Amino acid sequence: MTALLKGRSPIDLVFASMTALAAFTVCLIMLGVFVSLVRESSLSINKFGAFSFMFSSDWDPVKELFGAAASIFGTAVTTALALFFAVPIGIGIAVFVTEIAPDSLKGTIGAAIELLAAIPSIVYGMWGLFTLAPLMGKTVEPFMQKIFGGIPVVGHLFSGNTTGIDMFTSSVVLSIMVVPFIASVSRDSFNQTPSILKESAYGVGATRWEVIRDVVIPYSKRGVFGGAVLSLGRALGETMAVAFVLGNSKRISLSLFDAASTITVTLANEFTEADTDMYLSALYHLALILFTLSFITLAVAKFFINRKTEEHDR
Amino acid sequence: MNNGNEIEIEVKNLNFYYSGGVHALKGISLAVRRNSINAFIGPSGCGKTTLLRCFNRMHDLYPGNRYEGEIIFQGRNILGGDIDLIDLRSRVGMVFQKPTPFPMSIFENVAYGLRLRGIKKRADLSERVERALHHSALWDEVKDKLNESAYRLSGGQQQRLVIARALAVEPEVLLFDEPTSALDPISTAKIEELVVELKKAVTIIIVTHNMQQAARVSDTSGFFMLGELIEIDSTDRIFTTPSNKLTEDYITGRFG
Repeated sequence: MTALLKGRSPIDLVFASMTALAAFTVCLIMLGVFVSLVRESSLSINKFGAFSFMFSSDWDPVKELFGAAASIFGTAVTTALALFFAVPIGIGIAVFVTEIAPDSLKGTIGAAIELLAAIPSIVYGMWGLFTLAPLMGKTVEPFMQKIFGGIPVVGHLFSGNTTGIDMFTSSVVLSIMVVPFIASVSRDSFNQTPSILKESAYGVGATRWEVIRDVVIPYSKRGVFGGAVLSLGRALGETMAVAFVLGNSKRISLSLFDAASTITVTLANEFTEADTDMYLSALYHLALILFTLSFITLAVAKFFINRKTEEHDR
Repeated sequence: MNNGNEIEIEVKNLNFYYSGGVHALKGISLAVRRNSINAFIGPSGCGKTTLLRCFNRMHDLYPGNRYEGEIIFQGRNILGGDIDLIDLRSRVGMVFQKPTPFPMSIFENVAYGLRLRGIKKRADLSERVERALHHSALWDEVKDKLNESAYRLSGGQQQRLVIARALAVEPEVLLFDEPTSALDPISTAKIEELVVELKKAVTIIIVTHNMQQAARVSDTSGFFMLGELIEIDSTDRIFTTPSNKLTEDYITGRFG
């Protein structure tokens, strides 16, 4: 700190201290949130164990028995499925925008992607509940059930009543929300592919598709992967969009057409009902898990996005 | 030299316009003999690289560029609409200012063009890759690490790898766009040696900013300025008794 401020004019000094203060506040808040999460969840940690809490599927507010497994399961399934839909679409958009679309279309599509990212999640949630869920429940899901339902093992994924309020619909809403992230990060990575590298591939007789497949995508795969992890973080923490269409059920079901709950949905739905200290502490414990998960995801994403450039620069 | 006087490429009254309308090449006419090394020299922006990129129609990758005139290669006008660009580019290979290895192994880099042409048999590929790497004087340095990433090679090695990649598909012409501008003097010397060696097999056109390089390696030199071909002649004559004052001023370092 002193090294930072040494030998500067008074105005500079004031300015430097102010910016430094602002910057350190970030770290302080981060630490503060973590500490209070740990403190508030101590009751739950002591009773259920910091880790065994994660593997218990109990959720019984009356008997005060809590476990995070159902919420973690819902989070994992919806997030994974959302990425499964969103990654190919996002990469497809990025390929089209960087390599195929004429200049006039690039700007339009780019703006549309940014707009998609700017829509508040509550709007997605309402749209999911009133438009998407009925469509899914009445048309899409029965159709899928007819096609896949008969297949052994796989069929279980598509069993049960098709209400539209379930993990499948939630994943679709989530995937729409994260597509812009994957698309824009992938687009930036693709744009970093040096044009002489692409020209070299054309120069040995590659077609446009071959250039994209063999040069552009491999060259930018770390960036694309980072983008996917970044959107994973986003999907993990998304609340409003899924709260409407997931149904908040604490049952672990193998069918994608069953209601479930994610960590965020549990928190949003139950904070107002948490009437005992243990209940509240268990919710804090869930929040602590989410905090840690998001932190790790973001760290991994940053690692890949930053490392990419070094490797090729030598 | 075999077939010393046969014409490989003939440019007839070529004009080229970039998409913004910039008239980058003005009425260029020249002939390139088979198995010769042809250097294009001139100040930045003179059109020498633009001309080079006409020979494999690289300009077609960017919309709005326009050619006028003819480039006759193997009896056909390659600026015509009926030309298969994929085929053209495998006959006219290109090496760039910076090494451009692909994000794959050394072996796969060289095999890349072959695979695109549908050669799948491992034995065929191995044989051709080895031949190309011998040809580009890189084999001894990489034979024990063919499966390592191409990015682990030095800059000069990468440039020779890229040359091997171009050679693997057995082109008739190789275009070099300032191939040593990113390399140290020792790597540069190796590439120059290689270029001279390669003319036994291919016709070479090389764009260079380095006039000593043009003097060292080329048989013919063309001097360009502001999109026009000022003078083209044997390299000896261009560097000793140029007939145009502009050429003389340039090679004696009075401008550029």
